[in-house]
Amino acid sequence: MDNTLPTEFDIIIIGTGLVESIISAAASRIGKRVLHVDTNDYYGGTWASFNLKSLQEQGTKPNEKQFENERCLQIGNDVFSIQDFSEKWHIIEHNEKENVTQTPEDNEKQLVETFEDKVTIQDESKEAKPNVNETKENSFSRDSLLNNSRKFNIDLVPKLHFARGEFVQLLISSNIARYAEYRSVSRVLTWVNNTLEVVPCSRSDVFANNRVSVIEKRMLMKLLTSLDEDDDNYKDNQDKTFLEFLKEKKLTPNLIHFVLYAIARSTDTTSCSEGIASTKRFLNSLGRFGKTPFLFSMYGSGETTQAFCRLSAVFGGIFALDRAQVGLMIEDDKVTKVFCQGQEICAEHFVLGAEKIPKLYTEHLKVNSYISRAVFITESSVMPSEQEHLTLFMYPAENGKPIVTVLELGSLTGTCPKNLFLVHLTAKQTTTPQEDFKHIIDNLFQFNDQSTEDIRKPKILWSCYFSLPETNSSDLKGTNHPPNLFVADGPDLDLDYDLTIKKAKDIFKQIYPGDEFLPRAPDPEEIIFGGEENEKENVEVTDTLQKDTTSLNDNN
Amino acid sequence: MDDYKFLFKVVLVGNAGVGKTCLVRRFTQGLFPPGQGATIGVDFMIKTVEVGNEKVKLQIWDTAGQERFRSITQSYYRSAHALILVYDISCQPTFDCLPDWLREIEEYASSKVLRVLVGNKIDREDREIPTHVGEEFAERHNMYFLETSAKESDNVERLFMQIAEDLMKQARMTNVPRYDSNSQNINDSSGQESSCCNRLT
Repeated sequence: MDNTLPTEFDIIIIGTGLVESIISAAASRIGKRVLHVDTNDYYGGTWASFNLKSLQEQGTKPNEKQFENERCLQIGNDVFSIQDFSEKWHIIEHNEKENVTQTPEDNEKQLVETFEDKVTIQDESKEAKPNVNETKENSFSRDSLLNNSRKFNIDLVPKLHFARGEFVQLLISSNIARYAEYRSVSRVLTWVNNTLEVVPCSRSDVFANNRVSVIEKRMLMKLLTSLDEDDDNYKDNQDKTFLEFLKEKKLTPNLIHFVLYAIARSTDTTSCSEGIASTKRFLNSLGRFGKTPFLFSMYGSGETTQAFCRLSAVFGGIFALDRAQVGLMIEDDKVTKVFCQGQEICAEHFVLGAEKIPKLYTEHLKVNSYISRAVFITESSVMPSEQEHLTLFMYPAENGKPIVTVLELGSLTGTCPKNLFLVHLTAKQTTTPQEDFKHIIDNLFQFNDQSTEDIRKPKILWSCYFSLPETNSSDLKGTNHPPNLFVADGPDLDLDYDLTIKKAKDIFKQIYPGDEFLPRAPDPEEIIFGGEENEKENVEVTDTLQKDTTSLNDNN
Repeated sequence: MDDYKFLFKVVLVGNAGVGKTCLVRRFTQGLFPPGQGATIGVDFMIKTVEVGNEKVKLQIWDTAGQERFRSITQSYYRSAHALILVYDISCQPTFDCLPDWLREIEEYASSKVLRVLVGNKIDREDREIPTHVGEEFAERHNMYFLETSAKESDNVERLFMQIAEDLMKQARMTNVPRYDSNSQNINDSSGQESSCCNRLT
């Protein structure tokens, strides 16, 4: 296959992280000639999703190979890439029993059947019920999990989307939504008085919840309604913490816990205005899809970067992954060309993912904060139930430990095989990922290979820890990097992509100040080949779209 | 309005230049686009066909040129009901790459996806891959096989109709996959527990 790239572009983007991919789509969408390359052979950079085997390889991956070329500055640094990766099995390598009675081939076949997932969405309702009678003790082995490696889609950066948040609105307004499917989070849990509790989210939830008294129900509804409706009443509370504010409302400790820690994802010191803003963000997205305000991307969050890349390609962007040798060529303090596997390719603007910044610019940089991450594969849910849940679990900050966002995903999300769960833990790092999450493991999980057994707790079959730098491109301001080189930040701690979109939009506006950011892409029916597009028709469709959105709002 | 009963997603893969876009355009628009050059802004094409008195909507996705440097997004394969793997009968390298494509399909597509191998460009005189070689390959890998010419419109209709019929048969047997119009999908899922996942459009 001809491997040569064209050599002239308007903009070259290196790295396929989310910010880079959004910029790629936006530039391509307005007719710019985009070249989008990555040194990795996968999409997503530090935002990627991996199958089980590829994720394990992240720990053993050598640093990017140096290549000799004096004329260019090789891209890539160790500062902004994934750090301290470790992983561990907690189950046996083979399942002896199976191997004795069956030939390896049969064994594999059977395992495939056990894990057979229904990818077609509509099949799933039938498949949703976990087999309650199943008493296969320890039927999982390393081999059985690795044989199903491709059924895992493990996110480096798992995200949720507020149903009426900026991200979902952008997906709809730009028509990128057609590249992805979403599932709604079916319950929100919190940890209160040493037990797991379901957080009542909606009106019906509040009234169905029997852990909350009738009086409490009224109080909570009143508070939520007043927060939702009133904007001005809270200006007097600016100096207070959100906790003080809630206490003044004479809420019971139980209710304060739900609102403060789970709904507003706050701590005892969160300011009142911040707490109210987070509560409103939550409330605003209720009642659109499913029982909670949140959506999760089917097959993992890594799909999102790919959706933007697809749009970029549809509008003419050229994509080349797995390019081992990439460097920047600089003349008079400006980047003029990208060196790419022997070719020299010119463009006016250049965008780099944070982990692709040449070492020269990162030498004196220190990352201010890290994100602690852990991923577990478990054989049951933290709160088992008849149907499979997609669970968001907010673990409150305590004893100097950070707030931890726990996401438990079942096979219906397309991220793990049947009868297994994928548990993602995310927090602002205080010490190490292991330390930051230790209390949660102690309280809620058990390792499959530990000596004591507690039948109530899910067993961890495989665990993995790593840190991700929380990048902030403003740190790079002092490093005199060329003015036509833009750095796209890596992952952040926000639950959704609101910050990410803002960052991508900022860079886009710096490069193309007068242009529209991701206008709606036409539907296939609207494209008339060889003729002019019918403007009027376009307008009409946009109108209907808006009408739809309003009617959805009315459902509240 | 849309009054179809079934909607199926069909995706095409194969090396650059084997005629994927031409097959799609021939089927959906009845024309053979002269010259190369990707059509900017085209994501997928839609054609509604009739199978046994039922309307079936085929949503046919093209690679958007990402196959040129082997950079197709995995998400392209997700939730495809049928997958057409295309090679050029007059170009050996496009046939030699089939195992690579199959690996990618195994990795990312559903295990239940309907797979069809298509040898395109049979209008050409300079055939390099005999029909039986393609046939054998397809048989070995449990795929349907068909040779086509997008230029002469040979077997193109048959290819897509066969896919529509087979998918219908599958769908009838399992009572799925059945799609309703999109907006309804959203309304259905709002405010109540839905086992379905949501499409946002």
